[in-house]
Amino acid sequence: MTAAAIDARGLGKDFGPVTALDRLDLEVHEAEFFGFLGPNGAGKTTTVHLLATLLTPSRGSASVAGHDVRLDGLAVRRSIGLVFQETTLDRDLTVEENLRFAARLWNLPDRDAGPRIDALLGQFGLDARRHDQVRTLSGGMRRAADIARGILHQPRVLFLDEPTAGLDPRARRSLWELIRTLRAASGLTVFLTTHYVEEAEPCDRVAVMDRGRLAALGTPAELKRAAGVASLEEVFLARTGHELAESATG
Amino acid sequence: MRAVYGIVVREFVRFLRQRGRALSSVARPFVWLIFAGAGFAAVFAGRSEIDYRVYMAPGLLGMVVMFGSLLAALSTVIDRDAGVLRMMLVAPIRRGTVALGKTLGATLVGTAQAVVVAAILLPAVGLTPTPAGALLALLAVVLLGLALGAIGVVLAAGMRSIENFAGVMNFVVFPMLFLSGALYPVRHLGPVLHILAHVNPLAYGVDLLKHALLTQWTDAGYGGELPIALDCAALALFALAGLAAAGPLLAREGGVARAAFRERR
Repeated sequence: MTAAAIDARGLGKDFGPVTALDRLDLEVHEAEFFGFLGPNGAGKTTTVHLLATLLTPSRGSASVAGHDVRLDGLAVRRSIGLVFQETTLDRDLTVEENLRFAARLWNLPDRDAGPRIDALLGQFGLDARRHDQVRTLSGGMRRAADIARGILHQPRVLFLDEPTAGLDPRARRSLWELIRTLRAASGLTVFLTTHYVEEAEPCDRVAVMDRGRLAALGTPAELKRAAGVASLEEVFLARTGHELAESATG
Repeated sequence: MRAVYGIVVREFVRFLRQRGRALSSVARPFVWLIFAGAGFAAVFAGRSEIDYRVYMAPGLLGMVVMFGSLLAALSTVIDRDAGVLRMMLVAPIRRGTVALGKTLGATLVGTAQAVVVAAILLPAVGLTPTPAGALLALLAVVLLGLALGAIGVVLAAGMRSIENFAGVMNFVVFPMLFLSGALYPVRHLGPVLHILAHVNPLAYGVDLLKHALLTQWTDAGYGGELPIALDCAALALFALAGLAAAGPLLAREGGVARAAFRERR
């Protein structure tokens, strides 16, 4: 039996009177490339933060890499990598200093961290910029450094929260290339949130979220077939239509 | 613990890299020495027991630690805005570890500044501490750094944004400075202010620094006034209480949840 990489049961979160996530039941398999698709405000980031133990669930439970998010936050955080929407790098430090800092936060001995950092910088095309302060890097390079930071401790599950937001097409393309290589090399489970439909196409399975609820779940092909449409974009529009209509009038 | 070490190293590298901040922190006490020193020396004129600038030296060192450690710890707010705090919060370490790392980093920054300033300031005003005095002064600086660093992390954890910074300056930093005995003895103040001075960590730190540096003026009434052990205990208490409060405060969902929520707007 292969354990689920992510297993959420009735997971929910309220912020005051607002229900950000209603009751989510979701299972993500080991080594799966899972897309979490939805418009802004659908509860994608809330879900990621609940799974990463940055938020406490209002109801329900979840386990990540076999660890309960309520009971064993440290073990969950040890098993995951999380790349936030916005960079978490220290702009005043160099790329290498940032990675060293992260390595220490993740309790990697310096002698182990060094070779790993070298390898990642090479793989991510950041070798020439390793001694430059992060503030001098382009958005795409920063994002690459962010992802390097996220996988430095060799997590089992990598969360990418809208990783391409604010990147130009070229940087986007090289980012996807990078993620493809990573998955091929390590069998890493990747949980990707996005509101760009085309980014969900290469995923093994996709969940479509709408206003804190799971609106559809399946492979991209299944979703298209079920909705009787030709593209994932149409699925997205059909499943989340009212939300878009509201934001169009509002 | 490796994570604490990592946070301390980052704090210090940042400090060294921000040249302007490093230079101004070392220059600040000399600005006070020259301008405030001249003014107060004129007011104090006629008191021949002690040169006002000598009297001011321990207070200025305390002030250096206050600005150094408190501001370094308050940078936790900037860490939150810049996202770096999230990197620390998603790491497999306890919130208390983050608070401890920030506090120790702030202590190191404040202590380094105080040592550099002391090396210039003390000869400049003609103060030569005894070896025991120098050690006690170092202890005072470190304890004060710990106390103010921990308090700074608590304040930062409670602050919504860096815009509250002016409030902290007005309602924390300046009262702390003026009720510390750094510029004039607090025993001349009215009863209310005198009581306030006793809940002021900087007052204990400055008192300890006076014990260390103004020993020969104790009889004239310008040395430390409280028992050394009391000063040390009070500073340690501030540090421990601050650290105990800072962990849970950092763990509150506030910062992260609000940032997550921004997406909904």
